[in-house]
Amino acid sequence: MIEVSHLVKSYRELKAVQDISFQVATGEILGFLGPNGAGKTTTMRMVTGAIPPTSGSIKVDGLDVFEAPLEVKRRIGYLPETPPLYTDMTVRSYLRFVAEIKGVKSKARDGEVDRVAGLTNCIQYIERVIGNLSKGQRQRVGIAQALLGDPPVLILDEPTSGLDPAQQREVRDLIKGLAGKHTIILSTHILSEVTATCQKVLIVASGKVVAYDTLEGLQKSHAGQMTADGQPGPALSLEEIFLKLTSA
Amino acid sequence: MSNSIAIAKKELNIYFATPIAYVMFTLFVVIGSYFFLRLLGAYEAASLQYMRFNAPEMMNRLNFQDAIFRNLFGNLGVILIFIIPFLTMRLLAEEKRTKTMELLYTTPVTPAQIVFGKYLAAVIILTCTLALTLTYPVLVQIVAKDQNGVEWRSVLLGYLGLFLMGAAYMAIGLFISSLTESQVVAALITFVTLLMTWIIGWSAQEAEGGMREVVTYLSSVSHLDSFSRGTIDLKDLIYFVSIIVLGLFATHRAVEAHRWS
Repeated sequence: MIEVSHLVKSYRELKAVQDISFQVATGEILGFLGPNGAGKTTTMRMVTGAIPPTSGSIKVDGLDVFEAPLEVKRRIGYLPETPPLYTDMTVRSYLRFVAEIKGVKSKARDGEVDRVAGLTNCIQYIERVIGNLSKGQRQRVGIAQALLGDPPVLILDEPTSGLDPAQQREVRDLIKGLAGKHTIILSTHILSEVTATCQKVLIVASGKVVAYDTLEGLQKSHAGQMTADGQPGPALSLEEIFLKLTSA
Repeated sequence: MSNSIAIAKKELNIYFATPIAYVMFTLFVVIGSYFFLRLLGAYEAASLQYMRFNAPEMMNRLNFQDAIFRNLFGNLGVILIFIIPFLTMRLLAEEKRTKTMELLYTTPVTPAQIVFGKYLAAVIILTCTLALTLTYPVLVQIVAKDQNGVEWRSVLLGYLGLFLMGAAYMAIGLFISSLTESQVVAALITFVTLLMTWIIGWSAQEAEGGMREVVTYLSSVSHLDSFSRGTIDLKDLIYFVSIIVLGLFATHRAVEAHRWS
């Protein structure tokens, strides 16, 4: 569904992303990990077509992001790092606006807004002005916005940031529920989230891929030191693998 | 097109959800009414004087269009210079600052639709602002209906001139808003630019020959006056329309370039 090959993004001297390649199959959830500043957000912004890559190619559903940008954008729901909210609007008028520019037909629009607001639990404060909402509430409006129009691909940049533990679990369950039907790229700093939801893991550090494998594959290849009697040691947790890979 | 309308609706929603539109409407009407009352007073004084000296040929020459509306439109045009920067400053600068531009860039909306939608909303606000001042000719019409009333053709042409001038100012404001993330910077630079198009006309009086014509042509207020006299001159139309087209084109380039930066 998503094919990224040899993606490079440089800002003058700074190379934010250096030769990243990966694929995500239909219905799969890819966990996208890396320390702050590793190039996660830049990569996701390029996949959504928000910014053009310096070189490399991105294909979504067989369509090149650069050649058919509008077609690709129709297939993607994107939650940026900072939820793109108009603080002077109410949640409902905001979601209606996003549904409209995403091409949801006017008859279906109200139903669609109610559907995503229900899924993300925004319904209790749907008539309130976004500027008066808490950070967690805003984050959920941001997720609701990404789900509008039921796009086959979801790209979520730290969807659980700013949420309390109960809400984090809710969002995690929501994302799990979306798997299968949707292809998802999920970036996060909460490693237990990846263990709970993702099939594949992509770890980047300073703009380069340092690991790209299934969760089991990753644990197998980074199994603990052999013990003295030749038995494999205890499996490392994702956290230990992450620290080991990104500290190098 | 439907995307542009969606964006325009969203902008109007924000204009009326925040105090900015109401504040600007009030300012425009308060200052406009002050000028209107002063011009009305001057008209009254002049007509009394002509009556006292029994000068019917002077009385005949005195009409509402020349004595009141032509001056009033000139004044309203100058007030537009002061309020339009505050109406356009937010349009693109705020989207960039709050990163909502990212939403527009990742939904199936083209940069041209973004620019057109924003401009459409701005022009609708301008139309509302100007429509509020229609009370002045209507009042004159009601009071003076026995004396031929108002020359509506000239008054409406004057409004067309004001509208075109305001629309040109808004295209400049929209472009400047696309260059910065700060609303204050956008408003200030727009204000100075619009002010320049007005005060450049002053130096026309000192200039000579060809230079004088060039400077007069550059001055925005000089192009308003022929509309207020009740005529349409092609060169005035071209002046305003070319500023609008150039402003929108430059904004479109700036929005496209923003993604590459």
